[in-house]
Order: sequence, then structure tokens, then C-alpha cells
Amino acid sequence: MECKIKYKPAFSAIFVTLEPGEQIVAEAGAMASMDSQIRIKTELSGGFFPALAKKFFGGESLFINTFSNETKQYLNLVLTQPVVGDITEIELHGKDMYFQPGAYIASTPGVKLGVRWAGFASWFAGEGLFKLRLSGRGKAYFGAYGGITKKAIDGEFIVDNGHLVAYEPGIQMSIKLSSGLLGSFTSGEGFVNHLSGRGNIYLQSRSIGGLVGFLRSKVR
Amino acid sequence: MNIELLHQPESAIARVGLDSGEELIAQAGAMIAMSGSISASTTLRRGKGGGIMGGLKRMVAGESLFLSVFRSPQDGNTIWLAPRLIGDLLVYEMTGQDLIVQATSYLACSSLVDLDVGFQGFKSLFSGESIFWLTLSGQGVALLASFGAIYEVEVDGEYIVDTGHIVAFERSLDFSIAKASAGLMSTFLSGEGFVCRFKGKGKVYCQTHNPGSFGTTVGSQLPPR
Repeated sequence: MECKIKYKPAFSAIFVTLEPGEQIVAEAGAMASMDSQIRIKTELSGGFFPALAKKFFGGESLFINTFSNETKQYLNLVLTQPVVGDITEIELHGKDMYFQPGAYIASTPGVKLGVRWAGFASWFAGEGLFKLRLSGRGKAYFGAYGGITKKAIDGEFIVDNGHLVAYEPGIQMSIKLSSGLLGSFTSGEGFVNHLSGRGNIYLQSRSIGGLVGFLRSKVR
Repeated sequence: MNIELLHQPESAIARVGLDSGEELIAQAGAMIAMSGSISASTTLRRGKGGGIMGGLKRMVAGESLFLSVFRSPQDGNTIWLAPRLIGDLLVYEMTGQDLIVQATSYLACSSLVDLDVGFQGFKSLFSGESIFWLTLSGQGVALLASFGAIYEVEVDGEYIVDTGHIVAFERSLDFSIAKASAGLMSTFLSGEGFVCRFKGKGKVYCQTHNPGSFGTTVGSQLPPR
């Protein structure tokens, strides 16, 4: 399988070439275009209840599509995300990875998708009560609104609401005021996401919440 | 007429040079700037895409009722055109073959190009997405806009494109609305809904992002108007 992310960073899209017998799993609605011989199979992601949890709490679709090449030639497929922005590839080697709602785009068949309780701290931080957990082995693709920055943290680190896209299991989340009570609201930062632990995190340079906030004041 | 594209791909804008007597037809609202001596007027367009009926058909297609006509009285004038959303532009040379353009992707064309709302539009009604098609024919150039980047697919055989990702395609291709996956249930559940299935030989221009999906993502969080 060959996956090339083209038109980075603003209009990233994944150009996939499937060899005979290969498969790729993708979020419902991620397909932009493809060779007509590719077979699409729609499944509940990870069984009925996990899928339901994923839909209502993980912010992802109830279903996932498996695209398979059952022919003897190479077939092409283009996958993308609803928002404009960057897409990043990560390699899983048995270590888990957590995605924020809506970040997941695609993965190779060895990667398992599940939903984990993220806690009220995460919810207050505007990140959702549940998080998408990726485990197993293989490649996974996630997207963001804006650019994606990878940062290794060791100890404490603060991220503004809605800017965290993905993080490793070694990271704990708690919610705090950015400074004193008055300062937090006057600075416009309000609540911030207080991370601690050790591992990699991925940040997005813009947030849909920020765009919505701007537009909301203009809607009449 | 010479067209130069600047600021590709994020904020593409077209700089069109017009010589004496040359005319450019554009989507109403597409003009950003132009030389002072260029005359602007609106038209309902003549020919098969023209008149009141043609205008009304275009309005149904999500286009404006009127088109702008820009005419240059002298050599060396310029006019700048851009779409509303961020994204790329494409210059397509018409040399006799027809081009089917998704209505919202149409930006401008030279005056010898005819545009018409084709029957294709009615087929698309069943796709659940209100996508209409304009048929461009004749000789000249067409300027097309996309949300996201544009990629070209040289179809030889069969190819599938999600309806929201089509910018334009050559008429030489046979086009039908099809289900993305086998079985009616999974079609709705898969989230891919209906797709366009192209058969034959020709080019399809696709956009990397679906403006409808982006609009829904942002719009669902906005208060009702």
C-alpha cells in the first residue's frame, strides 16, 4: 500500500494506492473519489454498542467503510476530511493513541478502533466526554483544522481548548483556569487544558470552535 | 485574452488581460478589480443558455440570474476575478468538446463559450445533494473554481467520484448517479450516499474538499438565523 498526503498543509488529502488483496478502513464520508473496481463494505465500527458510543460520544460516525481491492491490478482511492487543513500519518507498534472527536480519517486493517471514557475534565475542556482509542499495529491518519504540530511533553503542559488533536496514553488531562479567576476571563483564555505526564501530543493551529465563535457574532 | 493565476492554491485569483473588443462573461460578484475603461453590464445571456428562461434555469442551479459581461474598449486592460471560498482555480481550454461544470464551480468564460443548464441537473436531484450542472460548449476558455485543491483524473474505463467533490468533467464521459456500495441500506449508512460513476474516456476534475461537508461542520454549530 502506498499513501501519499498531497496538497499539504491547507488542502491535505490522502492519495492511496491499494495493491491486490489490500484494504484500508476509513471514516464514513471520507472518500472523495476512487477506481470503480474498489469494493466498499460498511460496518458498525467495533460492534453495535462500541459503534453507538463512538457516534454519540466520540463525535465520529456510527459506521466505518472498508475499501478493498479484490482485483489483480493496482487501484487508487482519494480520502479527505470535511475541514480544510493538514493530515498526519502515524505508525502504531502496539502502543495506543488517543484521538479527539472528529480527528480520525483512516487506518490500515491491523489498527483497532474503540471508545474510551475521557472524563469530565476533558468535557469541560471542550474536548468531549469520550475519546477515540486506536490500538494494534499499522498506520493511522488523522486530520486537523489548520496546521498540525507535534510536541513531546515531559511534565506539565497547557493547551487551549479545542486545539488538542491527538495524544499518547501516558498523558493525563485536567481542567484549570488559565490564571486567576478574573485574569482567566479578561485574557479571553478562560479554561485551559492542563496536561501532565510523558508522551507526544499533536496540536492544531486553528480550531473550529474559534471560527464558529467568530461567525456566531456575525449571524443576524 | 491571456489568463494568469496567482496565489495558488489557497487563495487563487485570476488576472485576465483583455484587448480591444474582447469580452469576458463572469459569475455575478466574481470581479475583484479591473481597469477603469472596461465596461461592465449584466446579461441574461443569448443563445441556448440565454433569455429569461436560461436565467431562471441558472437561478435554480444555484447560480445568479444574471451574468456579468466585461468588455474592453482598448488593448492592455486587466480584470481580476476570484471565487468566494478559499481554494484553487483552473483554466480549461475549450476546443470543441463540451464540458459539464458543477454550477458552484463556474467562475467565468470567454464570450464565445455557450453555457446552459443541462438535463444532468435533474438526475442529480436524486442524489439528495442539490448539485446542478452547467454545460459549456463552443470555443474559448473557461475559468473554474474549487474548494480545496484541484486534481485531474484521466478516466479510461470506470471511475467513481463523490458528488460533492466534482468540479467538472468532459462530455465524452458517460455519467450516472450510482450507489457507493452494494445494498440500499449500506448506501445511506456508509455516509458516502450517492456518487457519480463515470464511464468511457475523458478527464474529470475533482476538488480535495467538499464545500457542503465543511458548511455542515461549521453551520451545525451556529445559531439558527
